[in-house]
Amino acid sequence: MVSLTAPVAKDGHRPARTSGPAGPAARRRTGRPGIGWALPAVVFFALFAVVPLVLVAVLSFTTWSGLGSPEFAGFDNWVTLFHDPVMIKSLWLSVLLTVLGVVVQTPLSILLGVWAAGPQRNRAVLSAVFFVPLLLSATAVSVLWRALLDPNFGVPSQAAWLFGDGNLLGSRTGAISVLVLVSAWQFTPLHALIYQGATRAIPAVLYQAAEIDGAGRVRQFFHITLPQLRNSIITSVILMVVGGLTTFDTVLILTQGGPGTDTTISAYYMYQKAFKGFEFGAGAAIALLLVLVATAVSLVVVRVSGYDRMAGTKEGM
Amino acid sequence: MKTRARFRRAVAGGAALVLSLGLAACGSGGSSSGDSDEFHVLVYGDATNRVEERIVATFNKTSEVKAVLDTVPGADYQQKLQTVINTPQAPDVFFNWGGGSISPFVEADLLLPLDDMIKNEPGLKSNFLPSVFETAQVDGKTYGVPMRGTQPVLLFHNKKVLADAGVEPPRTWDDLLAAVKTLKAEGVTPIALGGGDRWTTMMWFEYLYDRVAGPELFKSALAGDKEVWESADSRKALDMLKELIDAGAFGTNYDSVKFTDGGSPALLSSGKAAFELMGSWAYSTQQDADPDFAKNDLGYGAFPSVEGGKGDAANLVGNTNNFYSVRKSTEHADAIAEFLQLMYSDEFVESQLAIGNLPTTTNTAKFLDAADNPEYLKYQYDLVDKAPAFQLSWDQAYPPKNMTPIYVAVQQFFNGQLDADGFIKAMQALTTA
Repeated sequence: MVSLTAPVAKDGHRPARTSGPAGPAARRRTGRPGIGWALPAVVFFALFAVVPLVLVAVLSFTTWSGLGSPEFAGFDNWVTLFHDPVMIKSLWLSVLLTVLGVVVQTPLSILLGVWAAGPQRNRAVLSAVFFVPLLLSATAVSVLWRALLDPNFGVPSQAAWLFGDGNLLGSRTGAISVLVLVSAWQFTPLHALIYQGATRAIPAVLYQAAEIDGAGRVRQFFHITLPQLRNSIITSVILMVVGGLTTFDTVLILTQGGPGTDTTISAYYMYQKAFKGFEFGAGAAIALLLVLVATAVSLVVVRVSGYDRMAGTKEGM
Repeated sequence: MKTRARFRRAVAGGAALVLSLGLAACGSGGSSSGDSDEFHVLVYGDATNRVEERIVATFNKTSEVKAVLDTVPGADYQQKLQTVINTPQAPDVFFNWGGGSISPFVEADLLLPLDDMIKNEPGLKSNFLPSVFETAQVDGKTYGVPMRGTQPVLLFHNKKVLADAGVEPPRTWDDLLAAVKTLKAEGVTPIALGGGDRWTTMMWFEYLYDRVAGPELFKSALAGDKEVWESADSRKALDMLKELIDAGAFGTNYDSVKFTDGGSPALLSSGKAAFELMGSWAYSTQQDADPDFAKNDLGYGAFPSVEGGKGDAANLVGNTNNFYSVRKSTEHADAIAEFLQLMYSDEFVESQLAIGNLPTTTNTAKFLDAADNPEYLKYQYDLVDKAPAFQLSWDQAYPPKNMTPIYVAVQQFFNGQLDADGFIKAMQALTTA
């Protein structure tokens, strides 16, 4: 197994790297690269992330229909936003969809990722097949599912015992379930990939030692694999949370926020306001609110999990 | 150190260069209309562009000032227009849907009233069917000239299903209710509805309000009179619609079905449903999806009349037509007036008919016999010609920001989340120009 030999080889080289001649020339060679190297990324980030963010923040205090110049409106957009029942509902829906996404996708992708990291012969083929949804565009996926779930000509029409009248996208629970299912189908492979890589990086000695101590596969999973995957779980959950809060394309194609406003999540509501209704000020306010919420949630996850205080998963070894 | 500093500068310079090139590329898109000898015509990009290209070519043959056709593909049209209309790149003449799609521009004083043009050349008005022409009038002034085909909403049916159930196409609302009962007993969904699209649901409101209250109610509402939504007529229309929904006319899973992905047309053509209320384009949709059905079993008729209602049974709703409007600051108003006169030329009518559009000019009638499917076209033309009123779809009559609230309200009324009072409140909350 590769993971068995790799760390040993690295460890063998470590003394040679760190105990070499410690002169200034050597330090310069191994020290941090100059700021110049970061410039393209910084410029890119500033131009396409920071500047638009600032503009959106400014825009959220104006009314602008896209015609003429924006007019300063003070806190009008924000006040309207917090009194708008659809907005408040949309935030809850975003949170609900995100939580459901994490709850459904995390166990699935851990199991799949750990399985896919193993040495089985069929693994490579099955993993390749399973990763296909990841390669499809969200739009294609949504169109596909919409056709599959058509109540009169799709799967529900052949399985009335399960789907009843097949009014999946026309009822609140149905539509939310479909959104959770489709996102899970599409994004579980991505997270499984993260877990696959992380599982492979777990030193095999741990398992060998556990085997000698008589631990079975289930015990090994809960006592070695899961704790070793901790950092990956946090990474994956943050990705899911941020992705969940900004979900848009599946809603646009599968439900258009309906029935009524029952799947109008914040990101979609922003789109409706800004690009359907040409209320760019209100749309900007929703966008900024989403940025704040997503940032806050990520920070909380990082803090609570202790991710920021951890150097690596191998500590204590 | 020196090499590093030089390298840093090189990277910075390179990055700046790449970025400025990118910006320049963004800026050069869309040539300005400042050239003195041409004007730009912006249209919605689709199959009809063939006709527009042809008309522009005809115009350029004789005119000194040349027309340049620009197209914006598909669904993003209104967004792109909104972005560009108030910039130096704005088109001189542009495609629109009349009504709410131009009223914000009128309010921002960006459009040229065409009344003077019409005074000089009365043909710009008299050559078009009057019920259509009204759609592009805002505050009594004309801002658009019809430039494509009309698409009234009709009640389509599956002839075979109706014959099997012994039902005649309904002429009155009571006929329709009776048909619903019979068809339900036969195990057929009486009416196919692609409720997932929501504008499909809205069509039922448009027609019932017209038949019960007459076209005036919606006109006053659009003009800002919110009281009309609470009138007895408004409540009666809602009650009647509720009765139809509760009778199971649409089945139970209509909100999971769409017209746009072929769901509800398939219900009609496969005989699982008997009726569908849809724009005249449903005919070509069925022709593409199921040519045999379109040829043999697809029937069509006007929306039923309502006894005691104030609306004329010949009134229509739907997409009246598309229009060319003119930017106020254009330098070529005279050339554009010439250009707009081509919108009722024989060449225009013939090439529109050749691709299946039904123009709304008075000379259209004489070309109908030569067109494909003359029977269907003549039927529609007669309807539009004789219609005392032709109401533009609600979602297009109101300014764009009301579109989603209207869709939400009609869907929630159908699925029971809103009662009549709730619906009335939702409509009163719409913003009018």
